[in-house]
Amino acid sequence: MALTEIIEIFKTKLNVSGILNSLDKAADFYGESDIYSEMDDPGETIKNNPYNGPGGAFVKNVDAGKLSGKKEVPLIKLTDVWKTYQMGESEFAALRGVNLEIYEGEFLVVLGPSGSGKSTLMNLLGCLDLPSKGTVFLNSSDISELDESELARIRGQMIGFIFQSFNLIPTLNTQENVLLPLEFLEEDARTAREKAAYLLEIVGLSDKKYNLPSQLSGGQRQRVAIARSLAVNPPVILADEPTGNLDSKTGNYILEFLYGLNKKEGKTIIIVTHDLELVKYATRIVYIRDGQIEKIEEYTQNKPEGMI
Amino acid sequence: MRNSTYVKMALNMLLHSKLRSWLTIIGIVIGVGAVVGILSLGDAMEEQVQSRLAEMDLTKIAISPGYTRAMSNMPGPHGEGGNTAKDSELTDDDIDALQGVEGIQHIAGEISGSEEVDYAGENATLSITGVDPQVWKYMTTLETQSGRLLEPADKYVAVIGSDVASGIYDQDIGINQVIKIKGKSVRVVGILTEEGGFGDSSVYIPIDGAVSLIEDAEEGVFDTIMVKAQSEDLVDTVMEDITDKLMISRHIVREDDMDFSVTASKSMAESVTEMTSSMTLFLGAIAAVSLIVGAVGIANTMFTSVLEKTKEIGTMKAIGARNRDILMIFIFNSAMVGFVGGIFGVMLGAFISTLFPMLGMTMMRSEGDTGIFLSPRLMLFGLVLAVVIGVVSGAIPAYRASKLKPVDALRYE
Repeated sequence: MALTEIIEIFKTKLNVSGILNSLDKAADFYGESDIYSEMDDPGETIKNNPYNGPGGAFVKNVDAGKLSGKKEVPLIKLTDVWKTYQMGESEFAALRGVNLEIYEGEFLVVLGPSGSGKSTLMNLLGCLDLPSKGTVFLNSSDISELDESELARIRGQMIGFIFQSFNLIPTLNTQENVLLPLEFLEEDARTAREKAAYLLEIVGLSDKKYNLPSQLSGGQRQRVAIARSLAVNPPVILADEPTGNLDSKTGNYILEFLYGLNKKEGKTIIIVTHDLELVKYATRIVYIRDGQIEKIEEYTQNKPEGMI
Repeated sequence: MRNSTYVKMALNMLLHSKLRSWLTIIGIVIGVGAVVGILSLGDAMEEQVQSRLAEMDLTKIAISPGYTRAMSNMPGPHGEGGNTAKDSELTDDDIDALQGVEGIQHIAGEISGSEEVDYAGENATLSITGVDPQVWKYMTTLETQSGRLLEPADKYVAVIGSDVASGIYDQDIGINQVIKIKGKSVRVVGILTEEGGFGDSSVYIPIDGAVSLIEDAEEGVFDTIMVKAQSEDLVDTVMEDITDKLMISRHIVREDDMDFSVTASKSMAESVTEMTSSMTLFLGAIAAVSLIVGAVGIANTMFTSVLEKTKEIGTMKAIGARNRDILMIFIFNSAMVGFVGGIFGVMLGAFISTLFPMLGMTMMRSEGDTGIFLSPRLMLFGLVLAVVIGVVSGAIPAYRASKLKPVDALRYE
C-alpha cells in the first residue's frame, strides 16, 4: 500500500468519530478532554513525519501551555504507601512509606536494584495491586475504594503497559494483540481495526499483521507491545524494564520511541528499571532502595543524542 | 467485552489448544455418542412397538386354558410355574357361556399346532392355525398380498404367510398351488403380506379342516378362544365379564383355582411399551456415566489450561480485562469444547445406531427395515447436552481464572 493511500484512508475514515469517541471515553474518566485533541488527525501526523526517525512518526507538537497547566494536580499520588507480604511466619515489607507525586507529561524513571521494591511500586502505580497501608490516588481518586471492574476499566483506559517479557498473547497474531485492549473497551470493530493498522504502521510492523508473536524477533515483539499499549491512547505509559530482554540497539530504538511519545505527544512515561542507561531520557529519576525512596533527581531538559 | 469477542477469543484458544484438549473432546464424544446412540435405539424400539401396536387389534382378548399370571411375565407366587391345571380345556360350552356377555363383537375358537407341510418334494414343519372361517376375516388384522382370506364355505384351503410362500421352500408357492399337510392336499387361496413376525411362517386353515390335520385336536375343543370387543374402551369390562362368566360356568369359586386365563392384547401392548421405555432408561443411565466421566475430563483440562494461561490472564487484566471478561472467555471455551465434542458425539451416535441392526439387536422381529435413525430432535438434544456439560464443568476453573489477582497472575511463570 502506498503511503499516500494510507494517508487518504486515515483522512477519510479515521479522523473524526472513532478515535474521538474513545478519546472522549478516556477523557471522561480523566475529566479533561482537550488534552487529547492532538490525536485527532493522525493522518496528518504521518504526512508531516514520514518515518524519518523512529520516534518521529507518531508524534506531533503539543501545546505546551496546557501541559504546564496540569502540573499543579498530580496524576498519580502516593502517600505513605506500605506494601507487606506474608512470607510464612514473618512479614516482609516491600515498600515502606513511599510518598511520590507524578505529574502529567513527565518521563519518570524509577531506578533501583532488584529487591528494592520497584516492581511492587510499579504494580501499585499500574493499579495491578492495592497498598497494604497508605493511599494511591489516581486522578485524585483512591484506588483502594474502587471495585475490580472499575480498576480494570482504569487500567484499560488510562494506563498502557509495556512489560520486560513483552507479554503478548501467544495465540493471537500481531493485529489481534493490538486490538485486544480495544476489544475490552468494546470499541467499534472497524474503528478498532483502523486504529490497529495505524499503530502498526507507526511501529513499522504493517507487514507483520498476521504473524504470531513466536514469528517475531524480540524487538518486533516489543514494538507490538508498544502498539498495544497505545491502542486506547492512554495518558500514561507504564514500562517495566522495557529493554531488559533486548539488545542495546533495539533497546535504544524503543526508548527513543517512548521519548518521542513523551516529548511530542505529552504522554506520561514511567519506566521501572535497574539500567542506568535509561536515565538520560528522564525528566525525573526516582532512586529506590530497600522499599524506600532514596532520592529524587530532576532534569529540566536533556535530549539524548540521535533524537530529532 | 462483547459476546462476539468472547467467542473469538475462546475459539482462538480452542484452535491453538494442545493435544490434551482434543483428548478431552474424545471423552465427550464417547459420552454423547453413547447416550445419543442408546436413545436413538430406544426411539427406534418404541417406534417399532408403536407401529406394531397400530397394526395390532387392541380390541382382541384371548382366552387360553391353564392359568397364567398374564400381566407379569414371571411365574406366579405359588411356585408351581406358570400353568396350573394343565389338563383343562376350552370347549364349545365356554363359547356358549360367553355369548351373553355385553360388548363382545365376535367370538371364535382357534386351534393350533405344528405339522409337516410338503410342497414340491420339500418338507418343513410349520405352525398351523385353525380358525373359524365365519368370523376370521372380521377378527384378524392380517391382510393378503394376493388371493383372499378364508370364506365360510372353505375347508381344505389355506392362507399362508409370506415366508411360507417364498423363502422356506426352494420353489415359491403361488395362489391355487397345492400343499400337503399330513398327506392331505390343501389348496392355497391367499398369501399374507409380510408383517415381520411369527405369522409370516404360519399357515391358516378353517378349523373344520384343521381338526383332522392337527394331531390331538378334537372337535369342539379349542386351544384359544378369541374375543373381539366392540371397542377398545370396553376391553377391560369385557375381560372382567368373561372371567366372571367362565368362573361360573366352569364352577370355579376361588380365583386361585382358575384354570383359564384371559389376556387382552391391549394390556400386553402396554407392558411391552413399558418394558421398552424402562430398558432405554436403564441403558441411557449407563451411557450417562461415560458422559459424567467426560465432564470430569473437561473440568480437569480446564484447570490445567487456566494454570497454563495464568500469565496471559494477568496480561489481559493489565490491559483492561474485567473478571467477567476472563470468566466468559473460559466459559465460552469450555462450551466450545463441549460443542465440538457434541458434534462428533452425535456423529458417533448416528454411527452406533446404524450398527445395532447388524449386531442383531433390533429386538423386534423385523429384518428388512433397520428402523433406526437419528431424529433431528435427538441430534439437537445431544448437542445441547454436550454444551451444557461443557459450561458446567468449565464453570469452576473459569471462575478461578477470573478471580486471579492481576499482580499474582503476571508474576506466575
